[in-house]
Amino acid sequence: MLLFLIRRLADGLLTMAALLTLTFFVMRLAPGGPFSSNRKISPTIRANVEAAYNLDQPLVAQYLRYVRGVLQFDFGPSFRYRDYTVADILLNGLPFSLTIGLWAALVATVTGVTLGILGALKRNSLLDYSTGTIAVIGIAIPIFVLAPLMQVYFAVMLRWFPVGGWNDGWRSLVLPVVALALPNIAYISRLTRNSMIETMRENYVRTARAKGIGRGRVIRDHALTGAILPVVAYLGPATAAIITGSIVIETIFALPGIGRHFVDAALNRDYPLVMGITILYGFVLITFNIGADILRGWLDPRVRHD
Amino acid sequence: MTDSLLSVRDLSVTFRLPEGEVTAVDRLGFDVAPGEVLGIVGESGSGKSQILFSLMGLLAPNGRASGQALFAGQDLLAMTDTELDRVRGVSMAMIFQDPMTSLNPYKRVGDQLAEGLVVHKGLSWRAARAEAVRMLDRVRIPDAASRARRYPHEFSGGMRQRVMIAMALLVNPRLLLADEPTTALDVTIQSQIIDILAELARDMGTSIVFVTHDLGVVARLCDRVIVLYGGRIMEEAPADILFNAPRHPYAKGLLDTTPRIAAPLTRRLDIIPGTPRSGGAMLPGCPFAPRCASRIAACEAVQPPLIGIGPAHRTACHLIGEAP
Ligand SMILES: Nc1ncnc2c1ncn2[C@@H]1O[C@H](COP(=O)(O)OP(=O)(O)OP(=O)(O)O)[C@@H](O)[C@H]1O
Ligand SMILES: [Mg+2]
Repeated sequence: MLLFLIRRLADGLLTMAALLTLTFFVMRLAPGGPFSSNRKISPTIRANVEAAYNLDQPLVAQYLRYVRGVLQFDFGPSFRYRDYTVADILLNGLPFSLTIGLWAALVATVTGVTLGILGALKRNSLLDYSTGTIAVIGIAIPIFVLAPLMQVYFAVMLRWFPVGGWNDGWRSLVLPVVALALPNIAYISRLTRNSMIETMRENYVRTARAKGIGRGRVIRDHALTGAILPVVAYLGPATAAIITGSIVIETIFALPGIGRHFVDAALNRDYPLVMGITILYGFVLITFNIGADILRGWLDPRVRHD
Repeated sequence: MTDSLLSVRDLSVTFRLPEGEVTAVDRLGFDVAPGEVLGIVGESGSGKSQILFSLMGLLAPNGRASGQALFAGQDLLAMTDTELDRVRGVSMAMIFQDPMTSLNPYKRVGDQLAEGLVVHKGLSWRAARAEAVRMLDRVRIPDAASRARRYPHEFSGGMRQRVMIAMALLVNPRLLLADEPTTALDVTIQSQIIDILAELARDMGTSIVFVTHDLGVVARLCDRVIVLYGGRIMEEAPADILFNAPRHPYAKGLLDTTPRIAAPLTRRLDIIPGTPRSGGAMLPGCPFAPRCASRIAACEAVQPPLIGIGPAHRTACHLIGEAP
């Protein structure tokens, strides 16, 4: 298990390094710079500004400086928001994005797995059919349609929750979290249901039944592990995607997370901010993937032994 | 036979398929006395495993068993799952055919063995694991104590089969259903396992239904043998009688393809020309008729009844008359 952990961590670090390098060079090689706007700037000013941001140095030197900075969580100043460093912007937004994302992931997992297992055990029951229908709807309707509908109904008409913003305690959380979780509830419940049905057909589940230990134990102690393994594998990237993919949700619900900076930054060629966000997202993705791998290794001896 | 532990009557197993219903086992009857070893032989697809599954209540969801199977006086086929759970894993245990997929890959082998003792006998996990190690030792798993803490994928096929055997023996059942338990084992180990099973039947009075392809093993272990074809009994006889004087053309063909009892060699049965009939639509006649060299017109039209032709000797063939 220790070897398995070390290998996964090493993999993660390597991926991270590759991501860092790739982002840096792609951004630098992209045509245009932060100051190539329509406005003419005198060459002297331009030179001064470029010097201030170290843009006049050789690429390799810039790269090394950048890597050194990143290791200290220093992505330099933002090109756009001159008074803030990228680290400030990220640290300000991160708590919001993380809070919504983690809650949504938790809600999606618990609800999705529960519905999936119940559906599999009571196949073709009313519950199974209704979950199936909801799942199809949840997968088919995009979030930017669903979220405004929820706002209209639950916030404007029923006034249960605020339309947006972050000033209402846990109430502010409900709608964005549910909107973010819904498509994943749908997907996870389908995934769980199918894998549970498949697992119940496994020979080793039959062996367990032959032991006369009762249906409850057969399901809990024998079928469950195999059934949730595919879900765990999906959960790593999915959680990362939920956290980083909240761009739309943060915009719709006017939340001060990181997501909404991303598009702006890219449009403004705010190199440091784009790279900061990319690297942060990469870090989140890799971390959750490693987390899921470790969980998988813990559940499945064949994973941790090979 | 009133003193039998297991008494099966009219057992049929059918499967629902999109194309219609198929019959895998067709109105079968047999008895097993305490301490008796009954062999069931027959080609692949003849319904051997389904007989055992139906007794254990483990048929696939699209399968259904009808008839009667009295085990110690209670009808297994009429029991609910909960009622069956008081019998299977307690007084009736099964060794499954496919050792590679029949063990839970996510649980330690020792725990999978111990589980039954914890649930049914109220043993502590510690005590149950110790029992498990003892049983693994008994089925010749080397270094059983440390092996018990390992996972199935760390075992070879032969060792997994021995684990399956240990799992079934551990609860000390009155009836053991063994589905080709020795096929993955090398000759020495196989021989040791056969000795263990024979000893169990002799000393503990355990009844065994032993399904196999291997006629050499049948000759060594079984008291009585059923020859199955297409879900029907072709011939049933005490082992020595069947081996020395088989009557049914299918049984004769089967035994011709096997060396004499003296050399318990692993030879396969599937050497009779033609392909085994698999449980499609039931034809009116004898299932073996299409492959039978001595068939007459009646064979394809009328199913021959199973008739007694000697003490404990029955066969189903139009060419063989009733015992005088
Ligand atoms: N779930 C199922 N649905 C339909 N048919 C099935 C199902 N399970 C088994 N059968 C059929 O039942 C018949 C008997 O199968 P069974 O497993 O008892 O054979 P067997 O004698 O044990 O063969 P083998 O020696 O290969 O193990 C086969 O023709 C098989 O196709
Ligand atoms: Mg079989």
